[in-house]
Amino acid sequence: MLSPYYIQLVILVGINTIMASSLNLIIGYTGQLSIGHAAFMSIGAYASALVTVHFNFPFIASLLFGALVATLFGLLIGAPTLKLKGDYLAIATLGFCEIVRIVFLNLDITGGSVGLRGIPKKTTLLTVVVAVLITIFVLNRIINSRIGRALIAIREDETAAESMGINTTYYKVICFGVGAFFGGLGGGLFAHFFRFIQPNSFGFMCSIEHLCMVVLGGMGSMWGAFIGATAITAIPELLRFLGDFADYRMVIYGAILVIMMRVRPQGIIGQRLSADQVSIGEKLFNRWAGMGTGGKRG
Amino acid sequence: MSRKSYWMIVTAAILCLAMAMVGCSPEEEAGVLKIGNVGPLTGGAANYGINVLRGIEVAVDEANASGELGDLTLKVYSEDTGGDWSKAANAFSKLIDVDKVDVIIGGVLSSESEAGGPIAKDAAIPTISPSSTSAGLTLDNPYLFRNCLSDEAQIEQMAEYAVNELGLGRFAILYTNNDYGVSLKDSFEAKAKELAKVVAIEGFMDGDENFKPQLTKIKQSNPDCLYIGGYYTEGAKIAQQAREMDLNVQILGADGLCNVALIEIGEEAVEGTYATSGFYPDDPTPAVQNFVTAYKEKHGEDPDMFAAQAYDAARIVINAIKTSGPSSEEIREGIAATWNFPGITGNTSIDEEGDTIKDVLILKVENGKFVRVR
Repeated sequence: MLSPYYIQLVILVGINTIMASSLNLIIGYTGQLSIGHAAFMSIGAYASALVTVHFNFPFIASLLFGALVATLFGLLIGAPTLKLKGDYLAIATLGFCEIVRIVFLNLDITGGSVGLRGIPKKTTLLTVVVAVLITIFVLNRIINSRIGRALIAIREDETAAESMGINTTYYKVICFGVGAFFGGLGGGLFAHFFRFIQPNSFGFMCSIEHLCMVVLGGMGSMWGAFIGATAITAIPELLRFLGDFADYRMVIYGAILVIMMRVRPQGIIGQRLSADQVSIGEKLFNRWAGMGTGGKRG
Repeated sequence: MSRKSYWMIVTAAILCLAMAMVGCSPEEEAGVLKIGNVGPLTGGAANYGINVLRGIEVAVDEANASGELGDLTLKVYSEDTGGDWSKAANAFSKLIDVDKVDVIIGGVLSSESEAGGPIAKDAAIPTISPSSTSAGLTLDNPYLFRNCLSDEAQIEQMAEYAVNELGLGRFAILYTNNDYGVSLKDSFEAKAKELAKVVAIEGFMDGDENFKPQLTKIKQSNPDCLYIGGYYTEGAKIAQQAREMDLNVQILGADGLCNVALIEIGEEAVEGTYATSGFYPDDPTPAVQNFVTAYKEKHGEDPDMFAAQAYDAARIVINAIKTSGPSSEEIREGIAATWNFPGITGNTSIDEEGDTIKDVLILKVENGKFVRVR
């Protein structure tokens, strides 16, 4: 029998798997560098928590409501910004994330900077496992469908995809909407697990943590997002058990990330593409880095 | 690196971590009472967390050395949050579940206590925060206490002092837009409106360096007093920039300003500033001086308010063990029954909501030093 602490860790791994795999759809499969995933998480968290607290929504309904509100914002923000590419898109999504955080910081209904307390605890291990399975199933179906092939075509070469008749903006907005939906779902589970939410936990660092999960696990791989979420969630917690060395746990954690990226730049599970012998991550980062400086597209 | 050796390293790393976990699962030691501590030991708020832990250590060392608890030895288990409340929830769970602590002193930041409080309540582990000041924190949670005045309480006393003793009447408020600053602003605004007039309210973001836009607006409203709802880093800069702009009004603040660094950064610009505080290290009473000496001896620096409130929180726990008993439930009852406890931060009582009742100190910066005026 697992003790509550380990159950809590498994639940957090599950929530982060939902966050990472939905971000993976945007980054790893469609090749769009979004670093504002925490915004969708916070929208989902606040929307679902507020309807639970004020309108007594049943748990499933409030989760769905949170996810749908996040989708709405995903589509709203996606439509104008997805015309941007690479690091320009990254900055735009980062800006969106900050706007959302500051709005929640200043609204009265969200409790402002004091945070929202008194959310009933409804997230259990079972609901998280079911949510993870649904997320992975749906994302897997999307990736193996016509939409998924269009998304991968956009990642491989947007111009070529467009010349083959793929409406790239349309598919990119769809992908953003789906990513936001599951991001919002993760946020709803998060809020009903901790029973307290405060805007500061959904800032830039939270988005970067999600990005780390995707990159560390392996871009464009379903298992990669799961492994990345597990590693990033569990390592800092497991390092609490180092006894006298626990003082250095954040240093060790950072060192592990640096070493992993040095040894496995393609991520733990990431495969090298047979055609050009580079991984999806390396290819995308080369391209994103090249864009800002006017370098050649990889 | 070949594929095989890569997977071997990954497997070995996972095994090492798993073994570390098994190796460290604590055995039940007889005669040891475990005190957990949750706070930011890394990150931007690390200073508060470290000082809280040090204050607890001084109290625990003292109790263990004096033998006042008989055969019982106290042991401190500390977990870092990095200042993030969701990590604080993990820290609370780990202490309760894995280390099996009997009582927790923490969290340090208000959000940490908000996230950890429900977990402690579920597990029936009494928790006393030395420094979480947000309003209403301890409501509906019989296991959560605090040993610091809520923002409301300290601000009401400051506003009354400003109007009645200093004769001020036109208040301007400049606050940090975080839980601490907003809480200060709301309470001060409410009380100041009741007693006199609030002429301007301006906010700034955590970590801002330039306050001249806000100060310009404040100056136009012609106040006779500027209340700073924030910490000393910003407070010192605000004072300097206000003086540069010839805004020579009385500056007031809360416990966030009470740090020697305020004077080191602000120099003569902060001269004459009044601030509420939970602790005055130059108090000549023996209890305070003993603490200051013991703290200096152990940690090599002067204690601040966080250390003192943490020391008192630990003393309240020790007192609860003595008067009530060593089990978690008995400690909870003991803490709840605390009345007129002679702490180094003043006589402390716990009310029926788990909140603290004590007199707030008012300090003034005079000739580059904090001096107690009340």
